[in-house]
Amino acid sequence: MAVETLPARTPVRPAPTRSGPTPRWRSKETLAAWLFILPSLIGFLVFTAGPVVAAGVISLLNWNLFSSPTFAGLKNFARLGPDPTFWSALGNTVYFTFVSVPLTILVSLALALLLNQGLRRIAVFRSLLLLPYATITVAVAFVWIWLYIPQDGLVNAVLGWFGISGPAWLISDDWAMPALIAMSVWKSFGFGMVVFLAGLQAIPQQLYEAAKVDGSSAWQTFRSVTLPMLSPSLFFVVVTSIIGSFQVFDQALIMTNGGPGSRTTTLVMYIYRTGFENYDQGYAAAQSLVLFGFIVVITAAQFVLQRRLVHYDN
Amino acid sequence: MSPELSRRGFLKYTGLAGAAAASTGLLSACSSTPSGAATWAMWSSSPAERKVWSDFSNYVERQLQVESIPTLTPSGGYPTKLDLQLVSGTAGLVTALNGTLIPTYAARGAHRPLDDLIAADPDFDPADFYPAIQKISTFNGRTYAIGFDVAPTVLYYNKTLLAKAGIAAPSPTEPMSWETFRDLAKELTRPPDQYGFTCAPAIDDLVSWIYCAGGNVMSQDGSRSILNAPEAESAIQFVIDLFVRDKVTPPIRNLVTESSLSNFMEGNVAFMQNGPWQVVNVRKAKFDWDVIPFPAGAAGSTPRVSGSSFAIPAGVKGEKLDLAWRLLKTLTSAGALDIYAKAGRNNPARRSAGSAFKPPPDNLGVVQDILAGKVAGGHPYDVTTNWNQVRQLLGQDLPRTFLGQVAVPETLDGLTPRLDVLMKQHQDNVRQAEARKG
Repeated sequence: MAVETLPARTPVRPAPTRSGPTPRWRSKETLAAWLFILPSLIGFLVFTAGPVVAAGVISLLNWNLFSSPTFAGLKNFARLGPDPTFWSALGNTVYFTFVSVPLTILVSLALALLLNQGLRRIAVFRSLLLLPYATITVAVAFVWIWLYIPQDGLVNAVLGWFGISGPAWLISDDWAMPALIAMSVWKSFGFGMVVFLAGLQAIPQQLYEAAKVDGSSAWQTFRSVTLPMLSPSLFFVVVTSIIGSFQVFDQALIMTNGGPGSRTTTLVMYIYRTGFENYDQGYAAAQSLVLFGFIVVITAAQFVLQRRLVHYDN
Repeated sequence: MSPELSRRGFLKYTGLAGAAAASTGLLSACSSTPSGAATWAMWSSSPAERKVWSDFSNYVERQLQVESIPTLTPSGGYPTKLDLQLVSGTAGLVTALNGTLIPTYAARGAHRPLDDLIAADPDFDPADFYPAIQKISTFNGRTYAIGFDVAPTVLYYNKTLLAKAGIAAPSPTEPMSWETFRDLAKELTRPPDQYGFTCAPAIDDLVSWIYCAGGNVMSQDGSRSILNAPEAESAIQFVIDLFVRDKVTPPIRNLVTESSLSNFMEGNVAFMQNGPWQVVNVRKAKFDWDVIPFPAGAAGSTPRVSGSSFAIPAGVKGEKLDLAWRLLKTLTSAGALDIYAKAGRNNPARRSAGSAFKPPPDNLGVVQDILAGKVAGGHPYDVTTNWNQVRQLLGQDLPRTFLGQVAVPETLDGLTPRLDVLMKQHQDNVRQAEARKG
């Protein structure tokens, strides 16, 4: 039997006519979308992109705010190399970030898992645990200063109950940074906890039921179901926490003013001092751009890793 | 191509580069002030201070017959806000300046010299101001500001505590020696309930001891650091010993909120070094107290003399300059300073307004006697054009000696080369300012 074949058809695109359909970019939906985006876009251009570009220009100048700026080329970037305070501030910031972020995530995740166990009055607990995050850092920092007082502060009093003689937290070379990290973890865990809780509650129950039928242990279920399904939330919290930690400023300024010595001087604190106390705008801008570069590289690396480690159910 | 960009050119390029120009425009639009008004900037951190500046404002309106608009900012954020106002052209006609920052602002060209205005005004008598505040308000041989307060550091003492210990009140006219002072401080120390002395673990308090020992932070021409010279080192060692070896001071709890005033106000500290600007606060003490001259070292009793002034931003010109000068004269007039002194804020910068700063305490007159050279002495606070950086560096390393973490000679050896770099930068600033002047 002969098989009838249909002649191949070349798809024909209708010839554009003046009275034809409106181009996609001029459609009402597109215009509406732009209108909705516009406020954010203007905000981004004015308050984010503009200052970044301006910082790029200023980093090439010697400028004390009042005298006419002079062109410095890349000299401000060259000053970074032999500046021990810059490297010390960068080291402190990296130390702060790579200790505080994992700790914050662990605490947030643990609390989110606990709250997800069908506790009664979960909203109350969730609100209470979110309070530190909602409180302004300045107030929290002052309270923690008093908690850390060596002679009669609450932290050392509690340690004393267990026979431990606590250090002079905020004036100790070894303990000032851990003290800042502890306060920061306490202040920040609420944000991660809420995100994780939302992620946990979005995991389909059928997956847990299937795991149960298969005889999975609690750990196996956590590792093979919870963690992969929670990975988008985890990724979001890791990225935002690392960016936030690289920008740590207020709590260090208030609690230790960067001391003792320069043990808790963070990069943003150093940038602020260079720009607004030492009036060296060009050098401060160069430091800002280097910090910006660090954050971009680390965030980009996380996005690369995301392809392997983050599981999206679609 | 010339490497120098004009300020206008720079603003043009950055404006084109991003929305910085838009934000600057917004800022200017938001903070425009009515023309013809007497606008001035001042720091203010408490309701009591706000009341004083409000009274100043009313006085200005009565005297000048124009609207007075003071912009008050908490003292911590004042310099940053002032910078932004000066750069954006929204600063007042007159701005208050702490004496330690006058060379910084003058060298950057942020404020104008006042010598031409002073010379052209027969009504203005510079001689009525104490010499110390005149020196503090001068940079590179030119007057950049007119003082409103000036005072030497003095020693506050708890009369009740001394009387309880059976110790006679120290002389209000003869400064005690450092040795006598240390012996007294030791005798009055009974830890953990009572201590002999308190001061802030920072350069601002250390300099008085350094001056009394005949030393300084930098050489007279400001070209190099002499903090490691024997005079300065011995002074620093003396104070550190009070903290670390003799332990006559309350233990340092942290370096941020450590306050000699709060230690003293608790009533269990015998002596506190501080300025008479704290008299207004110490008057709330629940014990009897007084002030005496600072203890005398090898160079006598020559503690730091600090003061604050009003200045005119460099951008004020034409008709506005005339109003600015009249406003500045009014803000520093005997009438205005009487308001300041009557409120007990601090010793006024004018001799003719001094009588308003009255006791208690009984010995308060010693402040004016020191300024007039009748009792003990004083040393205007010597600063550089980059004093923020110097203070920052010292503030970073010196506290560790107060904590006993690092020895004084080791700290000073580490600080000296870094201070020398800042002194070199200061010399460059002075040269640039000199070139602009020429």
